[in-house]
Amino acid sequence: MSAENNQHVAGKAVNHIIHFEVAQFLTREARALDEERYHEWLDQMITKDISYQLPTEEVRYRRDKKVIGTAQTTYLYNDSYEVLCMRVARFDTGLLWAEDPPIRIRRYITNVDAEWADAPDEVEVWSNFIVYRSRGQRDDSTMYGRRKDRLRKVDGEWRLAARVITLDQRVILDKNVHCFF
Amino acid sequence: MKAIKQLIQQDGAIQDRSIYWDEDVYQKEMEHIFARCWLFLTHDSVIPETGDYQVTTMGEDNVIVARQKDGGLKAFLNSCTHRGNYVCFSEGGHARSFVCPYHGWAFGIDGELDDVPLEEQAYFNDIDKKALGLRQARVESYKGFIFATFDEKAPSLTDYLGGMAWYMDSFMDVPGGMELIGPPMKSILNCNWKNPSENFVGDGYHVGWAHASALQIAGGALEKMKGLNDYDPASGLQVTVPEGHGFGVIWDAAAALHPGPPGVVYQKWLDQRSPAVREIVGETREKFYNGHWDATIFPNCSFLYGTNTFKVWQPRGPREIEVFTWTLVEKEMPEELKQMIHADNMLTFGTAGILESDDGENFENCTNSNRGYSTRQGSLYLGMAKGRERTDPEMPGLVSDGWVNETSTRGMYRRWAELMQGTPWDALSKTAKTDSQA
Repeated sequence: MSAENNQHVAGKAVNHIIHFEVAQFLTREARALDEERYHEWLDQMITKDISYQLPTEEVRYRRDKKVIGTAQTTYLYNDSYEVLCMRVARFDTGLLWAEDPPIRIRRYITNVDAEWADAPDEVEVWSNFIVYRSRGQRDDSTMYGRRKDRLRKVDGEWRLAARVITLDQRVILDKNVHCFF
Repeated sequence: MKAIKQLIQQDGAIQDRSIYWDEDVYQKEMEHIFARCWLFLTHDSVIPETGDYQVTTMGEDNVIVARQKDGGLKAFLNSCTHRGNYVCFSEGGHARSFVCPYHGWAFGIDGELDDVPLEEQAYFNDIDKKALGLRQARVESYKGFIFATFDEKAPSLTDYLGGMAWYMDSFMDVPGGMELIGPPMKSILNCNWKNPSENFVGDGYHVGWAHASALQIAGGALEKMKGLNDYDPASGLQVTVPEGHGFGVIWDAAAALHPGPPGVVYQKWLDQRSPAVREIVGETREKFYNGHWDATIFPNCSFLYGTNTFKVWQPRGPREIEVFTWTLVEKEMPEELKQMIHADNMLTFGTAGILESDDGENFENCTNSNRGYSTRQGSLYLGMAKGRERTDPEMPGLVSDGWVNETSTRGMYRRWAELMQGTPWDALSKTAKTDSQA
């Protein structure tokens, strides 16, 4: 790949240097979340104007596009920075019985594909994930999905500015999804 | 399986632990409860136009509920009468027919068999299509809430709801009525269906303890309940009706779980709406309109009025349920307020909700501890405020002071026991009086 690929052209794949930075950011972010370093995530890895969403999608026939009745997109997460802070504050209360003893969570991030976004300092990044959770002695679950992220370079460092999470399960085969993806 | 009178004792206060675990108890529940009772399917607002439909379950029976040409509703089994395959694989939408993917049998939105491939060449026109329609359930709706039953002998839905309907009218009778926002969230819990049903019907006790972390960060009117240090029994009451439904109410707390700006907007709506509600349902029920409710319509439809989460616990075996969650709103609320309530419902009682996750853990573990043979020989205790129930000249059913109470939970188990004995509809209790009062 030549150095010219580093030029910002919206919709074009980023070059190997930017790709490395982006992939490295996602890996580091996953490790910070695995290790419950939530405040570091809030303070150093995401932007204050973040939009963090997990919409659910109905299982419908391909040909049937009619929106019926009151149906709309239902979001399991539709969080601003303030709401994410609230979720983290809940972890901090010491009153969250379900997380004590701690849950072990491991995030696997793959298929990273990055393109330049419209804004000059932003990239759009697609990645697939596996999130494995283990609770107590033998309670565990595995969730698969995809993320579409927008990363922004702030003071020379990449930060997450928007994330849309797609879970492949329509019926969530676990009791909750209150872990960050 | 033990005798029912051994499974539920002391007016519903004692439950044998096997009822949360044993397969034979569960199969009896499918026969005596889920094949007989009126079960919630969906709401008018979800399927308003001809051909709109939803696929759901009644017990473990897969059913389609569809809006008909005449504006009425039909619900029928989603299982082809030829070889049994499902005829619909979408969870809802808009259809003109349901065509089985196995041999192409086509059923109308009314469940009738309309078309059979090769009817002339292979069946020689010798097939009674009229007799091969999808099995119909009885469908009735109450103020837009659609229920069905497979029991021809069941009373009308209104009679089945009994005194609960009088209470629910406090909010269902608002001008314009209520609606549900979907599609529902869906998730699995590895617990018995009665664990969440009893929690919503009358477990005010767990709120301050199980949800302590969420109450601390959400703040608001309920924060003082955190850790169960402070509670005033005059702050609410519990109600059980003989039909097994029930609820607890916290006065003036409808908007309590909507902290911040949404709570302010919602409270303003309630205040502004109250006089009209008083006009329609009277002063007593105006108080209910402004309260926060935890409620279950027996057997498996639960809601929190105020927080406005609306749920069905679909049984999937004795130790698994599928949870469907919608948002309940007043139809005439401004769109902005509906969206705020919908978002808050997701944040609190959605699958990623900060209160839902506390409950899920508890429900699963309450079921799973009964794995142990010796554990399962024991019983569980719901004796809180027992004997303090009273009848009230104005309010149906049995009433008991305090929303931290187990009156409505005991009521649910009394009805469960009656139905599990195979008691015919006309012989079921008509009064809420407990055995010890009778």
